[in-house]
Amino acid sequence: MTSARYNPPQRMMDKMRWAVVVAVLVGLLPAAHAANWEQPAGDLAKQIAALTGPGPARLTIRDESSLPAGEMPVIRRLLERDLRGFGVVTGASDSATLSGTLIRVTLSENLQGGLWVAEVVEGTETRVTMLPVALGAVVAVSSGSALTLRRTLMITESEPVLDAQLFSVGTLQRLVVLEPDRIVTYIRSAAVLGSGMASGSWVVDQRFAISAGRPLPRDVRGELVAAQDHLFDAYLPGVMCSGTNTGAQVGVACADSDDPWPLTAPVAGAIGQRAFYNALRDFFTGVLAPGFGMELPPFYGASGIPRPTGTGLLLNMVDGRVMLIENNVLKPVAGANDWGSDFAVIRSECGTGVQVLVSGSGSAASGDSLRAYELVGREAIAVSASLPVEGAVVAIHAGQDGRGATVVVRRDAPLRYEVWDASALCN
Amino acid sequence: MHRRFVISALCVCLTLSAAARTRPHYGGTLRVETAGDPWQMPDGIARRLVLDTLTTASDTGGAQPALAVRWESQNAGHRWEFWIRPGVHFQDGEALTSDTVAAALTDVCSRQTGVGAGAGAASGACPWRTVRGVGASVVFISDSPVPDLPELLAQTEFAVARQDASGAVIGTGPFRVTGFANGALTLVANDDCWSGRPFADAVELRTRRAVRDQWLDLSVGKADIVEVPPELLRQAEQQHMNVLVSRPVDLLALTIAPEGWFASREMRQAAALAVDRTALYNVIFQKQGEVTASLLPESLSGYAFLFASDRDLDRARALRGGATTAAMMLGVDDNSSTMQLAAERLALNLHEAGFSVQVLAAGSRQTSALALRRVHLEAAGAQAALDEMLSRFGQNGAGSMTGTGTDAAALWQQERGVLENETIVPLLWLPRAWAVGERVRDPRLLSDGAPDLSDASLEGAK
Repeated sequence: MTSARYNPPQRMMDKMRWAVVVAVLVGLLPAAHAANWEQPAGDLAKQIAALTGPGPARLTIRDESSLPAGEMPVIRRLLERDLRGFGVVTGASDSATLSGTLIRVTLSENLQGGLWVAEVVEGTETRVTMLPVALGAVVAVSSGSALTLRRTLMITESEPVLDAQLFSVGTLQRLVVLEPDRIVTYIRSAAVLGSGMASGSWVVDQRFAISAGRPLPRDVRGELVAAQDHLFDAYLPGVMCSGTNTGAQVGVACADSDDPWPLTAPVAGAIGQRAFYNALRDFFTGVLAPGFGMELPPFYGASGIPRPTGTGLLLNMVDGRVMLIENNVLKPVAGANDWGSDFAVIRSECGTGVQVLVSGSGSAASGDSLRAYELVGREAIAVSASLPVEGAVVAIHAGQDGRGATVVVRRDAPLRYEVWDASALCN
Repeated sequence: MHRRFVISALCVCLTLSAAARTRPHYGGTLRVETAGDPWQMPDGIARRLVLDTLTTASDTGGAQPALAVRWESQNAGHRWEFWIRPGVHFQDGEALTSDTVAAALTDVCSRQTGVGAGAGAASGACPWRTVRGVGASVVFISDSPVPDLPELLAQTEFAVARQDASGAVIGTGPFRVTGFANGALTLVANDDCWSGRPFADAVELRTRRAVRDQWLDLSVGKADIVEVPPELLRQAEQQHMNVLVSRPVDLLALTIAPEGWFASREMRQAAALAVDRTALYNVIFQKQGEVTASLLPESLSGYAFLFASDRDLDRARALRGGATTAAMMLGVDDNSSTMQLAAERLALNLHEAGFSVQVLAAGSRQTSALALRRVHLEAAGAQAALDEMLSRFGQNGAGSMTGTGTDAAALWQQERGVLENETIVPLLWLPRAWAVGERVRDPRLLSDGAPDLSDASLEGAK
């Protein structure tokens, strides 16, 4: 039953608020672009001016990189302005044409990122100067029928990331990142001067090595879980680490362990379900503790999901089937043929309030995807559009508050791991 | 435009490898066929599966830990110390120690056959004077600084190998050799591999197999991964094969010995200006790869376009002058019909500039002033790649880092210094390609274009 309220907020108001936000963002877009190229354009202009000296010159720019076409005029404008600042006057004026100095700028790129190359041609002599340029990025949004998926990039790592979660230590929020051989904690920077880093970026705070007694499997997986009497537990195949907070700092201790990994949180005094992980492979053995009194085949992942009759357990089996344990009965879930091996159950204000965030199944011709589903009866119903993901989703874990999920994406060329915070917005 | 196409094609290829997926399955036997030697570069598939290196190349070209967990440069790059990963064992159970690593690398240097023996040969002398084990680390001493030694040690020629009691080659890699029968080498998974057990239980490697036979085996389901030479890529696409294409990793180059008629730089320059790269690209190699005049592919350096690759026949003739030259020989470093065709085309180009050139028959051992070579690039970082190419062309230590400013500018100056001698004329950068059967999940290529079999898994396996 909904209670009547005086002058409740109207949906139109929400829409107007969004319209204002969008308008502001759109208005900021050109400025953001300019800010991206401000520094490199200034640097390259300085390098060019050191070769030409002040005077008129002819400037040509060609784009041999993957920059969007709209960036070229912005870069040209900045470059011309900055060259002018160093006394190098470019343009179509007679003096520029007759000066005999040609500045040929090529926006190129290599494996490390952008490379801007300037050739200064004077008579038969050509001198060259180059500038490496960082290429930037991104927030992705996908609009769907019932809700919209939104993902925001948190960090990018060159090492594999297994899980990343936010934990609060007093008033300080820490991002804890689990890698195969270490745990790294991040704190938000308050503008690190001189680093070029924006205020609020995550910066590395502490690192802790993890030493495993035996080699980790090739498709290594891991999970960070909030603990009741300390900060967190980290589970890896054959290894378990405990994270504690001593004052403002985090401490981590690791040991070989075959303890089962938690699947569901304890509810109303009842023990949560745990599962034994096959430390030589990339799946759970199928043995649960305390279990449901039934034998399960191996599965990749499982998560508790609220059901009308209590909490069910949603499982992604190694053979590709998706199963649901409800009232101690194992049932197949229909409509999950497109699911990949990773999912997380999240809560939102939309639809039934509980969605399953799922990776793609490998049927896509290129790239991976994220999509939200709701479980109606024993059928999975898509409730969002598919959010395309560049790269492959290698892990999805529900966030500590259950309202979002951490999505780890592996990108190639260059190889890197992106950690995204994914959540659902109501349409 | 052309560069954009190359980048797009590369992205398509890499996206294919990064497509959406379920988790890899364990089990099954991967069946791979190649025309080359399983222990020799450029593929050296058995070598890659059985042996490990101290470091491996990351996608961006940097070195990342493998058998060495960390390293440190000392004495201004003359001394390097690499700490060996603890707990690693050879496939016969013997522990990996710094002494065994040092002995293996010393053996590599003593076996190196020098330059000019083709793309499969080990490169020039090892870049260090001595290597020895000291406690848990291996120490390299060199006469001149080797700033990129960690990147160089990622090359498979520096893999750590030992012989077991029976004389068989063993290593610390994800697979071990169990037998060779009916032209197939069988390798099985190393359960205790330090980098994790591979997904496939075994790899069956049929070697020295003609490409036509490989394709037939793939079509009838007798092979999972087979080779696709670049000049046959279009044909493979027309046959709807699932093809993985690497970035450019093989350099086709004309080498000119600075002797006889070519003792003068002008004559070498005339020959370099006479070659028609576009014809090679369009006709012989069916528009695969990229036309180049650089020792590094554009995607690696970002500056390859600075080296002019256009043909200038008038200038070539002018530089050659009216001199009448005796017939010169053009050798080819592999026996493939494609390389012979390319050499014939080059001879025609040179003839048009007034040179008299004869192509040596395939397999000829006759020495020649001109040679058409296909040189494989393994390094993924720009500086290490340039060092590797210079080494493969017998130009160790050539050029000097005189540039200022960015690394790329310094590298360009170093490369320009080498190419100005006109003894190496880069022609085309070519990709490597493999066709993959439907059973293979998550097929990927390593940064140098070889298939990554350690991380491949099979559909239907558990």
